[in-house]
Amino acid sequence: MLLLSRHLDQAPNYRADVQHFLFGREFRAEDLPFSEKLIRAHVKNGFISLRPGIMPLNENIFDLLGIRKKWLCARCGNRDQEAFAFCSCARCGKKCVYCRHCLNMGIVRSCTQLVTWQGPEPGFDRAFLDGRPLCKWDGVLSNEQQAAATAMKRTLAARESFLMWAVTGSGKTEIMYPAIEGQLRQGHHVALATPRTDVVRELLPRLRAAFPDVPISGLYGGSEEENLRAPLVISTAHQLIRYAGRFDCVFIDEVDAFPFHFDPMLEYAVHKAAKPGTPFAYLSATPPSELKNRFLSGSLKGVKLARRYHGHPLPIPRFRWIGSWQKLVQRGKLPSVLHEWLKNKMEAQQQVFVFVPSVSTAAALTELLQRNGFSRSAGVHSEDPLRHQKVADFRSGKLRLLVTTTILERGVTIANVQVGVVGADDPIFDEAALVQISGRVGRSAAYPNGDVVFFHNGKTLSMVRAVRHMVQMNQEGDR
Amino acid sequence: MERCLFCGEMRGDPLSFHNLFSPEYAPGFCLSCREQLVPIDPRHCCRLCGRDLSRLDRNRVTEGTCSDCVKWANSGRNGLYVNNHALYHYNPFLKEMINQFKFRGDVRLADGFAAELTRAYRRIVHNCVREQSGILKRKPSFLLVPVPLSSERLLERGFNQADVLARQIGAPIVQALVRVRDEAKQSKKNRAERMRLRATPFQLNEKAAVSLSGHKILLIDDIYTTGATMRLAAEALAPARPDSIRSLTLIHG
Repeated sequence: MLLLSRHLDQAPNYRADVQHFLFGREFRAEDLPFSEKLIRAHVKNGFISLRPGIMPLNENIFDLLGIRKKWLCARCGNRDQEAFAFCSCARCGKKCVYCRHCLNMGIVRSCTQLVTWQGPEPGFDRAFLDGRPLCKWDGVLSNEQQAAATAMKRTLAARESFLMWAVTGSGKTEIMYPAIEGQLRQGHHVALATPRTDVVRELLPRLRAAFPDVPISGLYGGSEEENLRAPLVISTAHQLIRYAGRFDCVFIDEVDAFPFHFDPMLEYAVHKAAKPGTPFAYLSATPPSELKNRFLSGSLKGVKLARRYHGHPLPIPRFRWIGSWQKLVQRGKLPSVLHEWLKNKMEAQQQVFVFVPSVSTAAALTELLQRNGFSRSAGVHSEDPLRHQKVADFRSGKLRLLVTTTILERGVTIANVQVGVVGADDPIFDEAALVQISGRVGRSAAYPNGDVVFFHNGKTLSMVRAVRHMVQMNQEGDR
Repeated sequence: MERCLFCGEMRGDPLSFHNLFSPEYAPGFCLSCREQLVPIDPRHCCRLCGRDLSRLDRNRVTEGTCSDCVKWANSGRNGLYVNNHALYHYNPFLKEMINQFKFRGDVRLADGFAAELTRAYRRIVHNCVREQSGILKRKPSFLLVPVPLSSERLLERGFNQADVLARQIGAPIVQALVRVRDEAKQSKKNRAERMRLRATPFQLNEKAAVSLSGHKILLIDDIYTTGATMRLAAEALAPARPDSIRSLTLIHG
């Protein structure tokens, strides 16, 4: 008996701060704010698991037999063999492989250990689950929206993935609320991921207002300290790389947006952050073909919303031929078609987005417009340090005209804005981009119509397809 | 390896007979990255520290030597130390590159400097041949000595950047120095603190020291800023009785 009680006394213990720090997250051993001794004791007692940062990649029999070894980075999922390099490592004294893809988060070598929590799940403060409704949003969903929301909530509760294919301005964010509430009520960890910082910055205040009692952590490049105890995390896909096996449900907004399909690391990061078998909810106006096919063939559940929340159809773009506008801009002349259109809009006291294909043309066109008497205008692009300020000025109405690259193609809602796409025939404007850009117009119920003009020098297939897409959505909405 | 080592874009070098027929051409940087590097013209640099004189105030230059080097010469601390050669002028782009190489640990980037470093090494050897008097000229043999890190810093970083650069050259390397004291990072100090006379943090590695006697030494490091490190290293090497000590760095900044 004595022996037994002593045995119980020595039952391995863990520290709560280590548990909270590491639960559902994964770090390099050297990044931990704890002493090596403490970590080793936790590893010995089985609370913490270690795995090598670089693993040999054996996808098929040829990899096993091949002379040249292939590698996989366990942190970022990189399997591009050109993005691995060798170094003679002073730590382990051997030749180490390292991943060049995720260097900016601290180097991962073959001798690097990735550390995660595998002990008991920490107790989270669930005081907000007191039986009262969590969602304090006081708007009303239309019948169609309500049906979509219910379907989404049910499907996710049944642990199945869901596609919300909804036109721009259909109120996707609000449709998510019942599903998010349902997941939170079950005590789940929920992530809302999106490829873009701008979208996180737009969503965060809206969700904080809708769920005032729920601790929400917002993560984007340069965001404030994260709240490790928050059950709801709104994050860019990039920031999710530090998470591993934490979430029971993941919403991916704007799933087709750059750079989600451009960089396979982001998809890896989102899947790593989720527990195995987690249902995903995909939201988009222009789902990528892979999801679209799965939805149409019935293997992915989902709902298609073809009507905007205010019930008006999508504004259909007009095509205007503008000639070789680049040459004119280079010579310092504003194309007359564009000049006239903009002058009309300014006289009608309307705000205008002018989308252009590249950063250099954005700068050139902005300068040209300012010289031609459009004084309250500005240009933005992704590297612009004043970007957020300029967008805020445009929102408040201080600026009337904003020249932008595709960075503002989604997630921006401004009432009564008009859109011109200059150089719509450029390959950077694919079907999805053009649909999203056209979707900036007529989003508010007060101004459900608006003007979208594609200024082009020769129609492209993308332009035609984008229009066909929107016409088809309008027809489906009429039914 | 047709992608740029730094930005990852396609290199897009114009096709030439050389790269058309070579099976795999040397790793390197793309044109737009190379354009942002500012090479130092060896004909217009300080004789002693290798800095780009065209970027310096006129009145700080006397007979092809910058005022800093005049100060060093007057201080009597040069000893066996002859001069420094540097490849590039320090600019924000190179700073970003060095940051990725040194602090993030992307050792692979050093491969992109291999050709330039080797060329600079040959030029140093060639200059030595020219300086010899007499008819029979002997090709001097240099021993490369990478400026070491302290063992703590080496463990933290995982590699010695000077050693990685020295390996690109392909001349014999001798690890003749050991850094015994872990001082605050040079890059965290100001100019006066760096140049102040202080005890050398380096120690001669006794085993390697025997092989140095009578040889010309080329110290290798990533960056030459005030020259204090080089003088301290030269001071520590002096007891091994080398013939002379020069240095080669990637950057003068």
